[in-house]
Amino acid sequence: MIEHAFLVGFSKSFGLFYLIALSIAVVIYAMKPSNKKQFDEAAQSIFRDEAGPWR
Amino acid sequence: MSLFGFHYRLERKAIGLTLAIILVASIGGLVEIAPLFTIHQTVEDAPDMRVYTPLELAGRNIYIREGCYACHSQMIRTLRDEVDRYGPYSLAVESKYDHPMLWGSKRTGPDLARIGEKYSDQWHVAHMNNPRDVVPVSVMPAYGWLLTTELRTDDLGLHLKAMRRVGVPYTDDMIANAAVDAYAQSNPDSPLADGVTKRYGKATTLRAFDGQPGRLTEMDAMVAYLQVLGRLTDAATKSTARAEAGQ
Amino acid sequence: MIAQLTLTERQHAIMISAAVAVLGALMILVGQDDAMSIHGVLVFVASAIMIFRIGGSYYAPLPSDDRLAHYYDDPSKVGIVLSMIWVVVGLAVGDWVAWQLVNPDLTFGPGWSSFGRLRPVHTTSVIFGFGGNALIATSFYVLQRTSRARLPDQVSPWFVLYGYNLFCLLAVTGYLMGVTQSKEYAEPEWYNDFWLVVVWVTYFVIYLRTLARRKEPHIYVSNWYYMAFILVVAILHIVNNLAVPISLGHTKSYSAFSGVQDAMTQWWYGHNAVAFFLTAGFLGMMYYFLPMRAGRPIYSYRMSIISFWGITFFYMWAGSHHLHYTALPQWVQTLGMTFSLMLLIPSWASAGNVLLTLNGAWDKVRDDATLRFMMVAGVFYGLTTFEGSFMAIRTVNSLSHYTDWTVGHVHAGALGWVAMITFGSIYASVPWLWKRQQMYSPKLVEAHFWLALAGTVIYVFAMWNSGIVQGLMWRTYTESGTLAYSFVDTLVAMHPYYIARAVGGLLFLIGGCIGAYNIWKTIRISGAAAEQASDVPQPAVVGAGTLQPAE
Repeated sequence: MIEHAFLVGFSKSFGLFYLIALSIAVVIYAMKPSNKKQFDEAAQSIFRDEAGPWR
Repeated sequence: MSLFGFHYRLERKAIGLTLAIILVASIGGLVEIAPLFTIHQTVEDAPDMRVYTPLELAGRNIYIREGCYACHSQMIRTLRDEVDRYGPYSLAVESKYDHPMLWGSKRTGPDLARIGEKYSDQWHVAHMNNPRDVVPVSVMPAYGWLLTTELRTDDLGLHLKAMRRVGVPYTDDMIANAAVDAYAQSNPDSPLADGVTKRYGKATTLRAFDGQPGRLTEMDAMVAYLQVLGRLTDAATKSTARAEAGQ
Repeated sequence: MIAQLTLTERQHAIMISAAVAVLGALMILVGQDDAMSIHGVLVFVASAIMIFRIGGSYYAPLPSDDRLAHYYDDPSKVGIVLSMIWVVVGLAVGDWVAWQLVNPDLTFGPGWSSFGRLRPVHTTSVIFGFGGNALIATSFYVLQRTSRARLPDQVSPWFVLYGYNLFCLLAVTGYLMGVTQSKEYAEPEWYNDFWLVVVWVTYFVIYLRTLARRKEPHIYVSNWYYMAFILVVAILHIVNNLAVPISLGHTKSYSAFSGVQDAMTQWWYGHNAVAFFLTAGFLGMMYYFLPMRAGRPIYSYRMSIISFWGITFFYMWAGSHHLHYTALPQWVQTLGMTFSLMLLIPSWASAGNVLLTLNGAWDKVRDDATLRFMMVAGVFYGLTTFEGSFMAIRTVNSLSHYTDWTVGHVHAGALGWVAMITFGSIYASVPWLWKRQQMYSPKLVEAHFWLALAGTVIYVFAMWNSGIVQGLMWRTYTESGTLAYSFVDTLVAMHPYYIARAVGGLLFLIGGCIGAYNIWKTIRISGAAAEQASDVPQPAVVGAGTLQPAE
């Protein structure tokens, strides 16, 4: 039987750690200089005019 | 790079994104909701709590069918003015047999969590028939047809059975007699009435709720349900009394 | 539609329709209540019509391979038309029930026309009918262009589109007959829920199959949002709708959850339906159509990624703010409140991205009502998410909850954000899809914009006022310590605001009708002269130079 108190404690603490860890991971991924080129290209990619699907 | 390898890599990216979304999104709900399923370990139980009778359950289903929950809440919050206006605040245990719960989200009309036995059956029938006859400025729709529509009872046993499958303690006896009990609860003079009391307890109200003893209408069910709201257990009044004594 | 299908595709389409027809026949056969039988007839007739339509053109000339050199836009076109039909219906029903709160006798008497049954007709028609169809239509459109790949086949998109509309139709007709689970925004009963799962899985498979064919190595961020929308809505839908039907022949079922667990599950669903249906999907729309229409790339692609993951992992915790001061344990309420406050970061990152993308193109916003729709959507998105975080604070919520303030908040989001971004995207894509130079009447777009904006503002202000007034009246005490106002007193005070709200809704409805008319005329106009050659939208740039990132 899983203890209610344990689950609640886990929720309250884990939520915080999970939040911080994910936030850091996402900011690193978005801000990593080596990704910059890829993102700039992606932002421009929708304007590249090709008359239809590539195949 | 082979054409196959190229495509394989692209597909992997889409699937990776899919898995990441599922993982990241589901953890939040899981961690937050899971503890609620062990809540019975901490919340006080109400051993005296009874289940809805077939007639009350039928009334509850009409309440759902007509969308009453869109304008009436059944959840008194732990705020002073709500307790003064509607009665003791709602406890978790009080809706443990509510599949689904009808806590509501909007009060275009007042809260109904403790409406049971606050007004007479006649008042409810008149009010449902045309709310403006009783409350001149009411914006509630009229539900006059409930008085003339016969209540369907042949499938009530199936309703109780489904409720039992999701965890409500209905007995075989209750399921077998569901339709009879629905009829008898609104015909207190019938010889079948004793069975209702036997199965659902002495506190069960047996009355011709719609004022027409020989006839089982949807109004009977609706009023029977409204009159039992907040009265399946007295855990809330007890806990308030205890809290006041403790002060 | 059928002329484009290959012979095998025509056969598949007939077989699928036949299978659905069998399902409908089964529903009629085992149906134990009227609603199940009527729905069986509906399903059967709908699939029979499909079979006859395909069968009627079965021997039509087969399409040439030229079609593979173009994107497959027919489902998007039909989706947009369906979306405009649903919005007119949904807004009309919404305004009708708004007038019912002014005069409660504005019913036809019988049950189907009362507030309680019509209200889910309104919410389902606008959220799922209008919003859902617009999301499906635009997602196919955006998916193909950002991947530079054609949809993988020509049957499954139709199955998704028509299957989804069958779901909406069964839902709405069900409410009129009293078929509902009572779970807000998840009212459809078990059999319809099953059907939606089938449709939804097919929808996601189309997404994966198209992405697997893409040319671009990077998946454009719009698709991230659309994918999160499809995936998370599936999770939410399945969990919240777990229920036991009383028999296979009955429409009625009982939720697997009860009481406090059910409340938490429902609002976990309810709030994330807002997050992933009404936010994520429409952000996907915004991240494509706004840059295209403005002729400028999104201000910060990085910010769009940060806000994507922020929305995906913050929102899931926020649902419990719907249950402040209830029997839900207080730690869950606190958790919900905390995460709701933090949600402001990713939300404002998106709203900021909209405005910063337009920064430097304000002349276009001034001249182009379509772009203005999108800008106003961004502004309302920022306002509504701020208001939402604010209302999630326990003490604020004690005043706002159960009142019209909540209704006002929802409509600021639904009218101001969701509808505005959708109208903007539809006005942008209709000329591109039907190969017209522009909309039939730019003046009517302008009129629609002002009606929509005026309607939204009137609506929201009326509900703010009535909500706060009613909340304060409920908690006012006399000097002797008794409640100052009865519930009936507060009803009287609501009356003028209810009139104002219904008027605001009426303006928004008129705008929607004008929009539908304008789109219809654009489609019907003989466009031979106006045809554009390219399959890819030309950004509406006057004297376009090279595109510069604004960052």
